[in-house]
Amino acid sequence: MRKLILYFLIYIFFCLIQFFFSQYLNSFRIFPNFILVCVVCIGFIKGSFNAQLVGFLFGLTWDIFSTDVFATRALLFTILGYLSGKLNRKFDIINTFFQCVIVFLANIVYDLGLYLINCIIIQDFKDTLTFKNISNIFTTTIVTPFVFYVLRRVLKGI
Amino acid sequence: MSLYKKSRYENIVFIVLILICFIFIGGRFFVTINCIKHFIYYIAYPNLSAADNILKFSGNFANNIESLISLHQDNISYKQKNQELIDKLRNYELITHEYESLLKLFKLDKVDNTKSVYARIVVREPSLWYQSFIIDKGSDDGLYNELPVAVFNKTKNALYAMGTIVETYKNSSKVALITNSESILPVEIKNKGINCLVEGFDSCLVKVTYIPLNVDVKPGDELVVSNLSSIFNYGIPVGVIRGIVQEPYMDFQTATAEVFFDMVSSNIAIVLVPSEQKQ
Repeated sequence: MRKLILYFLIYIFFCLIQFFFSQYLNSFRIFPNFILVCVVCIGFIKGSFNAQLVGFLFGLTWDIFSTDVFATRALLFTILGYLSGKLNRKFDIINTFFQCVIVFLANIVYDLGLYLINCIIIQDFKDTLTFKNISNIFTTTIVTPFVFYVLRRVLKGI
Repeated sequence: MSLYKKSRYENIVFIVLILICFIFIGGRFFVTINCIKHFIYYIAYPNLSAADNILKFSGNFANNIESLISLHQDNISYKQKNQELIDKLRNYELITHEYESLLKLFKLDKVDNTKSVYARIVVREPSLWYQSFIIDKGSDDGLYNELPVAVFNKTKNALYAMGTIVETYKNSSKVALITNSESILPVEIKNKGINCLVEGFDSCLVKVTYIPLNVDVKPGDELVVSNLSSIFNYGIPVGVIRGIVQEPYMDFQTATAEVFFDMVSSNIAIVLVPSEQKQ
C-alpha cells in the first residue's frame, strides 16, 4: 500500500512539473523531459516491471494532453522503461556520468521514435527534428543527476 | 547496484503493454476512438483547434449525436403541442357539454354542420365556359338540385362561391356558375352591410346591381354571400368590385365585379350538402 501511494505521489509530482510548471518555467519552449528521466531512473532502481508500468501511465497521460498520435508516448516510455530495467544490472547507477549518458541516449531514442511514428502514421506530417529537440535533450541531461538523486532517496525505502 | 528483485512477469507485462499501445495507435484509424481522444483533450485544454478536430474526426458519430439531439428537441416540441391539443380538446368537450345543456334547457334543435362532397369537374365546354360544367358526383352521392357548389383556394385558404347544381343524374351533376347569365345571387358588400345582387353575364366579370345611390362603394370592396341567400351560407366570398357605374336617372348604382374562383385552375368542386336533419 505504501508503495502504491508513493508511486502515485511520484506520478502526480512529475505530471505537475511536466504539464503545469513547464508552461511557466520554459525558456523559448525548451524544458527538460522530467518524465523520461523519471522512467529511466525507476527502471534502474526498481527494474523493468515497475518502470514499464510507470512509463505506460506517464505516456498515456501525456498522450491525452497532446494532439499527436495517441499512445505514441505510452509506447516509447514503456519500451524505455523496460530497456532501462534490463540494463540496470550491467551499469552502476550511482555514477553521474553514466546516468547522463543513458538519459541522453534514451532521449535521442525517444525523440527519434516520436518523429518516426508521426512520420509513418500522419500522412502530411511536416515537423522536423530542430534545435528545440537538441536543446531539450541537453537540458534533460543536465537535470538528470538531480532527479536520480531525489528518486533514489525516495525509492530507497520501498 | 540493484535495489529490486526481478519480476517473473515483466516480459509478459511488457508484451501486453506494447500490444495495448499498438491497439491505441491503431485506434487512430477508428473515428470513435479519435473523437473520444480529442474530446478529452478539449476538456483539458479547451481551444478552437481541439473543437475543430472533434468535428473533423467525429463524422457520422457527430451526425448521429446531432440526429439524436434534434429528435429529442422534436420530441419535446411534439409533447408541448400534444399538451396544447389535449387542453383544447378538454375545452372543446366542456363547450360541447355546455352547448348540449343549453339546448336541453331552451328546448332547441341541434344545428348540424354542412357535409362537403368533393367532386371532380369532368366536362367543361369552351362554348359554355362561364356558364356551366359537369361534375362526377350525382344522386348516388347524395346530391340533388339547388345545392351550393364552392371551390377551395389553397393559397388564400378560403372557400369561394362558384355555382349551384341545376341538373342531377345518377353519377353526375350539372353546375350552373354564378357567372351564368341566368344566375342571380344575393350578396353583401363586406364590412358595409349593403345588400345587392350579383348577376352573371357569361364572362369572368359579374354585374352587381341594386346598390343604393347614397352608399359609398369603391373598387376593391369585397362581396360576400348575404343572409338573403337561400342556397349559400352567409359570408362565403364571391368576388371583388372593379368598377362603379352611376347613372343620374337610375335609382340604384351598378358595379362590375370580378369573381374570386378561377375557372382555369379549378378542377375540384366542393358541393356543400346540408345534413339530413336540416333537409
